Amino acid sequence: MSKSKFSWGNLYLIFTFLLMYAPIVFLIVYSFSTGDSMTNYHGFTFKHYQELLADKRMIAIFLNTILIALLSSVFATIIGAAGAIGISNQKRQKNKEILLSFNNILIVSPDVIMGASFLIFFTALKLPLGFWSVLLSHIAFEIPIVVLMLLPHLNELSDSLLTAAKDLGSSSYQTFSKIVLPFIQPGLIAGFFMAITYSLDDFAVTFFVTGNGFSTLSVEIYSRARQGISLEINALAGIMFIFSLILVIIYYFIENNHSQSNKKVKARLRGKL
Amino acid sequence: MNKPIVELKNVYKKFNDTTILNNINLKLEAGQFYTLLGPSGSGKTTILRTIAGFNDVTSGEVLFQGKKINSIPPHQRNMNTVFQNYALFPNMNVYENVAFGLRIHKVPEAEIKQRVQEVLHLVQLDNYGDREISELSGGQQQRVAIARAVINQPKVLLLDEPLSALDAKLRKDMQYQLRSLQQRLGITFLFVTHDQEEALAMSDVIFVMNDGKILQQGSPVDIYDEPINHFVAHFIGESNIIPGKMISDFHVEFLGHTFECSDAGIPANESVEVVIRPEDLVIVPVDQGKIKVKVSTQLFRGDYYEIIAFDQQDNEWLIHSTKPTIDDSIIGLTFEPDDMHIMRYNEDEHNFNQRLESYEE
Amino acid sequence: MKKEFKFLYFAPYLLWLLLFVIAPVALIFYYSFFNVNHQFTLNNYITFFTSGTYLTMTANSVWFAFLITAMTLLISYPMAYFITKLKYRNLWILLVILPTWINLLLKAYAFIGLFSHNGLVNQIFNFFGIPAQQLLFTNTSFILVAAYIQIPFMVLPIYNSLLEINPSLVQASKDLGATSWQTFKKIIIPLSIPGIKSGVQIVFIPSLSLFMLSRLIGGNKIITLGTAVEEHFLTTMNWGMGSTIGVVLIISMFIVTILTHTSKKRRVAK
Repeated sequence: MSKSKFSWGNLYLIFTFLLMYAPIVFLIVYSFSTGDSMTNYHGFTFKHYQELLADKRMIAIFLNTILIALLSSVFATIIGAAGAIGISNQKRQKNKEILLSFNNILIVSPDVIMGASFLIFFTALKLPLGFWSVLLSHIAFEIPIVVLMLLPHLNELSDSLLTAAKDLGSSSYQTFSKIVLPFIQPGLIAGFFMAITYSLDDFAVTFFVTGNGFSTLSVEIYSRARQGISLEINALAGIMFIFSLILVIIYYFIENNHSQSNKKVKARLRGKL
Repeated sequence: MNKPIVELKNVYKKFNDTTILNNINLKLEAGQFYTLLGPSGSGKTTILRTIAGFNDVTSGEVLFQGKKINSIPPHQRNMNTVFQNYALFPNMNVYENVAFGLRIHKVPEAEIKQRVQEVLHLVQLDNYGDREISELSGGQQQRVAIARAVINQPKVLLLDEPLSALDAKLRKDMQYQLRSLQQRLGITFLFVTHDQEEALAMSDVIFVMNDGKILQQGSPVDIYDEPINHFVAHFIGESNIIPGKMISDFHVEFLGHTFECSDAGIPANESVEVVIRPEDLVIVPVDQGKIKVKVSTQLFRGDYYEIIAFDQQDNEWLIHSTKPTIDDSIIGLTFEPDDMHIMRYNEDEHNFNQRLESYEE
Repeated sequence: MKKEFKFLYFAPYLLWLLLFVIAPVALIFYYSFFNVNHQFTLNNYITFFTSGTYLTMTANSVWFAFLITAMTLLISYPMAYFITKLKYRNLWILLVILPTWINLLLKAYAFIGLFSHNGLVNQIFNFFGIPAQQLLFTNTSFILVAAYIQIPFMVLPIYNSLLEINPSLVQASKDLGATSWQTFKKIIIPLSIPGIKSGVQIVFIPSLSLFMLSRLIGGNKIITLGTAVEEHFLTTMNWGMGSTIGVVLIISMFIVTILTHTSKKRRVAK
């Protein structure tokens, strides 16, 4: 009815959205500046991108990051899927709840606690810090997310469907491969993607367990940012922005039938509730 | 005639290209029980929401006590609504739900207490004030919703399919309660439903709607006995509708015979439809029947038998009889001239009423 | 044979639970009772609860986390509310979430540029005749950046709980004579409390431990519990003390979870 109120609301939204996106736009705009600081724009250039591509160390780190993300997500998806099936197969509700609350501990713990406790754990096992410790840590914190993404799909898979399959004479393996797997496939894909983004996004845990000599992009950005501004990081931001945009698009393209537009935050939410 | 309390004049409501309300004119008088009856999508709820102030109209006037209220927001209208799903506030208990309207109007606490007790008593929920909404049954929630709506002492109470979520027995019970509540409060009720039995049982006046139009308005008896057209005849009660031809005033022909009827004012030789209610058909031996039909199936309905039979022209006949008959037998049916009602094709309500008045005394 | 298979596929997950969930938490508790020389001691806890430094730090952390949460809530609630009113609200909520896909460090880094002495914000200040301010390495900038990063995590649960409110409740309230503002105050806010609670939970706990932000934006001036854990583990190598702080963090996490736990009973009614 009162139309003036709506425009106030829209004005507020425009303002907040501008503020939300300003830093990101700002970062990318300066990646094309000829200067060497983020204070005055000096004209267009690809210089920083070229420097970035010539930076062997940076490229190695970039590849490490991708490798860690892909490998950890594959393992996390497999173990997480088995875990989710195991949890949903629990006959007693109480067992389910206990398993689920343990599952969610890592999701709700602050990053530093996770990082510190993994560091203690690896040291206690005398496992050298580096690629393997980072990979294991990433698998570890991705598993509960995959489980949370899969459980709703498994809950939808009704007992009667499984009973019907058995009734029609299919073996456990056949039931699994012909019914369960296709049914949870969207959840598997969603879980895999979510695991990748968590891996790419992580800084704190990696920072604790990385040791010397091995680094991921987050850790590298942190150490460079502490030394001050380098427009090479802006160029990196530009590339990563495009990269995450592509990931988002692929993700929503796969997920579009499921209309769950906000799994990432939801996963964080589910852990709490 | 009393001054109407609510009036809609030439109201249209369009949404994109679809017309939701098509030239609605209605008048509600004080103290009457009105029902908007129609299938879903007929526009009845839209009318209710227009009167409540939740919808605006594309054109036309909404009047309350003679004043135009088109642009008055809902909270300033002296009318209250009982919503379909009750819309009780889950964050408040029964008492707070009922007291809501009074608190908004800054009524003193002592008066609130007294009035809440009064309306809770009215709906027979005297000691339920402390209950949470989730602890109530559907019927109790229903009564809280009514209590909450009447506590502001509205001039008009709007009820949007309030009984649709209740089971059949409770629904019947609530019909009595609503009717007696309306009579005790003496305010205007506008009730929306798609259930014709509900409408017939409770209303003073029924508006039958379809496709955004009011097809017919009148008392339940008038509408039942003299439906204006095929749709109304079909929608309200069960009926046998047979194509026929008007011979002259008070004579109609169908199934190859001319019958005496009680309708007039229709040009001779005009094609018409004849309505006979199933309970008005009497089964008689074949030679005494006005028409002959062959019994197809019969179902025992408890208080009567529902018989389906077919005549020579393959028209289906629905008969309600207290006695059973024999499957596949030929039976005779008879009926009085008064039991027949003749409907013209495409006659509007105005002409229909005028024609009826011309020969009914 | 079948039983073995059934256990076998579940084994890696259970192993993970044991090794990466239970063992690390147990180890943190264990280590909190040891000093730098690996001797059993209660001194870490004694130090924590008697020294002014740690208690101030805890108070500071909680205070900052509170400010960040309050600020995030203040910005996010109207956002969530107005988005529910929009026609293409799914698209807009997607736009709220999109920044969460961009690396946290990059977003923090952007603010180093924005808040620098000659940065964009100061340039805008100059434009309005306000002299350039020291923005970076201040408490305000730390809170602002943290709130900025947390906004999507607050908007989403609130948005979801607002969407769950049956529109007929709002209509019923107006029908009973309440103005839009009264309806907002008496119906919409109380019914969106579950969303606010989960939003607060999601924002508050990580805000206790944003050590990278306090380093990058707060400029080492803001020592929170998170910063202290990082320092003890990676710089001073006093793992015992670090673990003690970690235990305190874990316990406060539980307290917050319990405090903001929504009782299921009321939410059943729709």
